[in-house]
Amino acid sequence: MQDWCKKRPHEWHKYINQEVRVTAHDKNEYQGWVFTVDPVSGSVVLVTLHGQQSTSVRVVMGHAVRDVEVLKEGDEEIAQQLNALFMPAGSQVLTN
Amino acid sequence: HTTGTDAVHVEEEQRLRTELRERFLRSLILMSNKEVYFSMYERVQVQAKFGASDIDILNFQVSDLQTPLGVQKEAILRCQDIISYSFDL
Repeated sequence: MQDWCKKRPHEWHKYINQEVRVTAHDKNEYQGWVFTVDPVSGSVVLVTLHGQQSTSVRVVMGHAVRDVEVLKEGDEEIAQQLNALFMPAGSQVLTN
Repeated sequence: HTTGTDAVHVEEEQRLRTELRERFLRSLILMSNKEVYFSMYERVQVQAKFGASDIDILNFQVSDLQTPLGVQKEAILRCQDIISYSFDL
């Protein structure tokens, strides 16, 4: 997938909230939920959820992306979890 | 087709582009002042505290860059040299 960086916004947008495996330069593979793809550089922002304990973010630079394979469709719960991580604290709904 | 449907199409692409970009900028905000691990070309791994990026995301400004050759107090990483980077939340 050499032309990953040349995809259109609607093609990248379809990957949001999907679980994917990104193959990068040198056969490096990364797995996670897609929060976004930067439309300028094609960089993929992946989130790995390790239960309640820890969450990590991995960004694969667009120029190093070789292939992106969808593993699982995300649901509304995943979408909300991802949004809660990145959106400002003031906009989160707090419950008792 | 007509120019009208083209305009709608362009507008929709622009809306999606804005949403994708806003999300990406939020990921940069979230990364500020965090320890970030960078995988560079030639299998070099470095670690540093993320400071800021320029508007075109061509360079990252970092502090306390830990390299195999020692620690750099302040440094600029060229994004074209990076394969991927990661940080914990």
